[in-house]
Amino acid sequence: MATTATINITSSDLMPGSSLNVSANTTLTKAGVTADLDQKESGVIKLVTGTEYRLGPLATEMSGDAHDISSYLYICNNTTEDATYYVDWGINETMIGRLYAGDWMFIPWNASDDAAEIELEPQGGTNIIEYCFFNSDFILPTAAS
Amino acid sequence: MATLIPTLTLSSSDATTDLLNFSVTDSLNITKAVISPSKVALSTGDLTLFAAASYTKSYVYLKNTDETIVMNFDFGSTLSIALAAGEFAFFPWESSQNLVATAASGTPFLEYAIFEA
Repeated sequence: MATTATINITSSDLMPGSSLNVSANTTLTKAGVTADLDQKESGVIKLVTGTEYRLGPLATEMSGDAHDISSYLYICNNTTEDATYYVDWGINETMIGRLYAGDWMFIPWNASDDAAEIELEPQGGTNIIEYCFFNSDFILPTAAS
Repeated sequence: MATLIPTLTLSSSDATTDLLNFSVTDSLNITKAVISPSKVALSTGDLTLFAAASYTKSYVYLKNTDETIVMNFDFGSTLSIALAAGEFAFFPWESSQNLVATAASGTPFLEYAIFEA
């Protein structure tokens, strides 16, 4: 499953006399090797305010508690509402940033321990989130019965 | 005020039978501090790349320019982002916690930029 990610960051008016044009490209691979990733999950979800949600698996759900597994996360807030609508994103109860309408992010996520889960907390109203999650070893949790 | 336009493209011909090929872009108003793409050598010791007290809402770009060494990033305590060789990240940062960088070994070079909204 060869997946590539490319980013371009441009601006014509950020610095006088010098336009900004940054480009980077990477192939998503398993940790420490050049082998392609195996698994992918993507979708669109509605997040209602007042609740903190977990996106993606815990480390225990990836290859039998093997931490530091290569995982990549893309999130985009597809909400079209005003600036009072946004989603706080964080890891391990640490709020890191806010995704306003149209904002997106892409990170290689390190599930360094079970507490290092990806957390989303919508604000302002129902936010619509598009996400794509790539990793190598996601094991579904055992059913309760 | 300046406009920053980040674009991400994800593509794969064999991830699923449904071809993965999409791009997402944004238009961000940048009104405060900017550090344009710069380079710094990391080490196995903590480097506070961006101090929370120095910024407000910002957008952060990180790229590992090394060919082998992994770089780790945390926001306070928990290891959160690991950039393998050649990998990049782009995300909104609310500057509630310091962004701290370390190298798994050696002194690899990190390319970074920050754009304060």
